[in-house]
Amino acid sequence: MAELSKSFEMECEILDRDHQELMQQIDKIVAVIDGQDGERCANLTPEMIKFAKQHFSREEALLTKVGYPDVEKHAAHHQNLDHKMETILELAAMADANPLAGEKLKSALKFFLADDIIDADLDFKAFVKDQEA
Amino acid sequence: MQGLHIHGAAHAYGDNQVLSKISMVVPGGELVCLLGPSGCGKSTLLRLAAGLEILQEGSIVIDDVTVATKELHVPPEQRRIGLMFQDYALFPHLNVIDNVTFGLLGTPKRKARAIAAERLDQVDLADLTEAFPHMLSGGMQQRVALARALAPEPKLLLLDEPFSGLDTNMRASIRQMTLNVLKESGVATLMVTHDPEEAMFMADRIKILGHGGSILQSGDSHEIYYHPNNEFVARLFGFMNTIKGIVQNSMVQTPFGAVPAIGFADGEPAQVLIRPEGILLAAGADNGGVPVEVNSTHLLGHFSVASLKIAKDRNGVQEFFVRVHKEFLPELEGRITARVDPEQCFVFADDGTAPGEPMMDDLNILSSELKTLLSTGLEIADKDGKTAEAAE
Repeated sequence: MAELSKSFEMECEILDRDHQELMQQIDKIVAVIDGQDGERCANLTPEMIKFAKQHFSREEALLTKVGYPDVEKHAAHHQNLDHKMETILELAAMADANPLAGEKLKSALKFFLADDIIDADLDFKAFVKDQEA
Repeated sequence: MQGLHIHGAAHAYGDNQVLSKISMVVPGGELVCLLGPSGCGKSTLLRLAAGLEILQEGSIVIDDVTVATKELHVPPEQRRIGLMFQDYALFPHLNVIDNVTFGLLGTPKRKARAIAAERLDQVDLADLTEAFPHMLSGGMQQRVALARALAPEPKLLLLDEPFSGLDTNMRASIRQMTLNVLKESGVATLMVTHDPEEAMFMADRIKILGHGGSILQSGDSHEIYYHPNNEFVARLFGFMNTIKGIVQNSMVQTPFGAVPAIGFADGEPAQVLIRPEGILLAAGADNGGVPVEVNSTHLLGHFSVASLKIAKDRNGVQEFFVRVHKEFLPELEGRITARVDPEQCFVFADDGTAPGEPMMDDLNILSSELKTLLSTGLEIADKDGKTAEAAE
């Protein structure tokens, strides 16, 4: 199973665990697209999106608890991901039958996890680490 | 993770802050385009990733190896990157194969030539290994530069306006070939361009950089084009018809009818931006639109541009520019009506800095805006094909 890269570590157990779980779920979807798993994208992807939304809620609660000053800005960032999540679900609904949708889904998932979720979270890594110390 | 990870990169030249806390990820096998106007800092970001500038703040990681922080600077030659510049930077005194093997210093000569020959074959230049750069067309030189950049199997490929030196006809085919080669190689690629069409064609993800060096939006071409999150991003993709108004009951009145203004307070000044292809024309039959008078029309091959006059209010007439798929012959039609495609119509706050709508009595503005419209390379067919109705 793939591990999170060092540059993506938040050094916050709850958030790193969530990111790791998301990565594992996405790895599984990619394996389905590549024909290495008998599951269906159409089943796995909504579960991943559900988990991502739970992660956003957990994260916003944590940021509020530690008094992160830009919590509203980060919550707005989560809201702005709605459109990307809709696109991911649309592609997943087609991916089992349409290879082009599968390839687009793989690309969208990589960016969704690394660029939209984890990299954006790194903005408050230092703050959360300081507060939890 | 394979690829490039930049976090919190900031850079200034003296007092001039050119990049402000830029973060981005380019996963292995993916292509990210930095799109923005001249002077927005996109080439500086590329140079930071390459190691040609010293990073002042933030971090840069390539394939899990940190190559730059405020305290660390791994030199370019140790970053395993491939670079391709706008002018290709081929060595004029070296022939094609020697240009390609140049990047393979330290590799035994026979092996280096075998690798170079393979790369040149990949870009369809296997027959020109002995030619010198001055004997090649711009497109061929571009392909040599691509082969040279890929020869050492870089972890990251950095492309700075790679197609800007090519003429329009050659650009399309070279772009397609380059994309095929990059996807085949599986390398993470960061490309800089100021050309929206190029970014939409090449990128898995586009990052829009605004003046001041911050990322304004990040997404695939569909998201950026159909869901721009601010006026700057919307206008970056070409001419916009602009209507200013005041929000009332969460709507803004336009000559085409009321447009929803979600998230705006009543009484707030707003501007409605409509792409030229977002105004749908119909001849004869009623498409639910408003009657319009066609001012002029120009056939530009596979599409036409037209200007329309619509009575704005008692203060005058407003002109709109429309792009119509195929030929548009209003002189052979009766009544023409126009409606707006809601997917190509955007409402933003009017902070007073945006240009106003073109008015009939301002011929200078009209002429420059028409020029802009005519020079816009984008041609997006509408989804329901109704813009073609008037021409058929």
